[in-house]
Amino acid sequence: MFKALTNVFKKKATEDLQFKDVEFEAIGFQLKEKVDRVFGRSLAIRELDAGSDNSAEIELSNLSTPYYDVERFGITFVASPRHADVLIVTGAITLNMEIAAKKTYDAMPAPKFVVAVGDDACGCGILDGSYAVLGGADKIFPVDLKILGNPPTPKMILKGLLALVYKIEKNSH
Amino acid sequence: MTFKEEVNKLFGPIAVTEGKNNEFYLPIEEASLQRAINSLAENYFELTILFCAQNFLTDGFTLFYVFERSGFEEILILQTALSGDTVDSIAKKYPSAAWYEREIADGFGIRFQGSFDTRRLFLHETYPLNFHPLLKSFTNTKINTIPPSEENAYTFKQVKGEGVYQIPVGPVHAGIIEPGHFRFSVIGETIFNLEVRLFYKHRGLEKTAEGKTPQECVKIAETVSGDETVANAVAFCIAVEKICDIQTPKRALQLRTILLELERVYSYLGDLAGMCVDVSYPVGASPFFILREEIFRQNEELTSSRFNKGIITIGGLTKDIAYEKLQGLLRYLSTFKERFNAACLIDSTYFSVIDRFETTGIVETQLLEPLHITGPVARAAGTTFDTRIDYPYGIYKELNLKAQSQPNGDVYSRFNLKVQEVYDSVRIIQNLIGQLDVGSVSVPFQIKDGYALSMVEAPRGQNVHWIYIKNNLIDRYKVRTASFCNWQAIEHAVLGNIVPDFPLINKSMNLSYAGTDL
Repeated sequence: MFKALTNVFKKKATEDLQFKDVEFEAIGFQLKEKVDRVFGRSLAIRELDAGSDNSAEIELSNLSTPYYDVERFGITFVASPRHADVLIVTGAITLNMEIAAKKTYDAMPAPKFVVAVGDDACGCGILDGSYAVLGGADKIFPVDLKILGNPPTPKMILKGLLALVYKIEKNSH
Repeated sequence: MTFKEEVNKLFGPIAVTEGKNNEFYLPIEEASLQRAINSLAENYFELTILFCAQNFLTDGFTLFYVFERSGFEEILILQTALSGDTVDSIAKKYPSAAWYEREIADGFGIRFQGSFDTRRLFLHETYPLNFHPLLKSFTNTKINTIPPSEENAYTFKQVKGEGVYQIPVGPVHAGIIEPGHFRFSVIGETIFNLEVRLFYKHRGLEKTAEGKTPQECVKIAETVSGDETVANAVAFCIAVEKICDIQTPKRALQLRTILLELERVYSYLGDLAGMCVDVSYPVGASPFFILREEIFRQNEELTSSRFNKGIITIGGLTKDIAYEKLQGLLRYLSTFKERFNAACLIDSTYFSVIDRFETTGIVETQLLEPLHITGPVARAAGTTFDTRIDYPYGIYKELNLKAQSQPNGDVYSRFNLKVQEVYDSVRIIQNLIGQLDVGSVSVPFQIKDGYALSMVEAPRGQNVHWIYIKNNLIDRYKVRTASFCNWQAIEHAVLGNIVPDFPLINKSMNLSYAGTDL
């Protein structure tokens, strides 16, 4: 009992984080409002790496770290395509990943949306001429939105998601 | 004894040609190759990399067996021109050669006689069976794939017995992770065997580089692995600079070192955080994630890229970094140490974290040489091997670094080693900012023909680049990242551990898929 009480009142082991990125917060809360309405409070994303250099994945995982913490805005990265509304594709689709990528997409329930993140997934990377890649994500999926960048920053990705939700809302009317 | 004398002792007074970057080329007849390999193995030479080039100086295939020997800064390269397309395997003497031989078999169609594994490596089922992308007769263009069939199916090692079952994982994993396939053979919860199948992300980088100018290829080097952008770009540029006799200005070398160490810091911070996440301890992970994000932002301040892409170029840097920006970095780092200390304390004093870290995923010291394991994985298993110290490049020789080492080879050793090396890297950056040279960060240059090997210590270990420039264009670009070798260590490190510890072991070794698959 005593231990529990002292734990409550003792100095916190972690520090308070100073948020400085006003713009990011603004986009985030705008997104939250849209996600609440259009997606019933939760936008589930499945990430698919189809042949990137890993920097886009790093920025996507950064969205869940304390500085950004996008789960506040109703956005979750889910483990299974069966739980996902949106498929985020990174990297040019390699021949070795083609089948697995298609299976992932097919496993998603409709309605489903695809977002290409990064130059390679958007079909404008440096690997477009290579024998080993098919090209951008639109070679095998219908792509709803492209977020350019090598890689795009977390803020750019969030902006892109906001644009996607706007687009879906508009189309559903 | 000098390196040349050491080589002459083994091979007699034979003509060894000195390469451009402290590497020595020793032409060996095909017939005497096995004898040479045997005597190198007996004399503790370690295989760094094995690769192939077509139409190098003469028509046909040339194999390059690259060796290092502890105690020497020089590199020995056996250069063997093949008369046909078959050669004897050396994988029984040097186990790390097994993947290289499979890689060369895929790329060039060379057959290695007597090898214990002849399955295809980076070409999966969808590639036609007689397709070899690195042959000069193939121009880089889209190809027709074939449907998977019994004939081209990939067979995994079968472990049979009562109670043994298999868990296939991947290529698409549950988190935001790169693709790869793991085939576990399990008894109860204990891993009995693990077979890793990679190369899902094979992007054809080496072929794409061919026929391009060296300047264009810096981008390809950067894309080998996103979080080793600076390391690979620097390695590529060093090789080209050696070939073309370019004297890179001191200031550029110093700034490159700052960027290399920043890359190490953010990479390690991610590993430390990831290890905490994988033992379900987010409280311990968050402070590392915060620091890591702050380093990304420092990168963006310095070079306007969070991964420092586009700053390294042949002959120096694409742009200088202003004094105020470096002072800003210095101010940031002055508070870093205390906060990093506090972050480490949360984890290293919490019993359930230590319980999961200790004795988990042990990499045995006797594995290191046969598989050529490098980087933090090797230094956490009792060695002091560090390319920055053993094969110094740039200005590392002047820094008088001392290699860190941890004895046990488990996850806890890797955790502690990375903590120590973060402190070292921060100190290197702080010292360098205080003593930067003034002057230009680039020199004009002319591309010349030639070839050279270069090595850097990337955050994951030793990365090797070999470049051959012909008619001012890249004719062959070979990259081998540390992960290519270190992946083979994980198959051993997980044995006897439970399946739920696999993500932790994987994270503690931080292996790159993109850097392996190329």
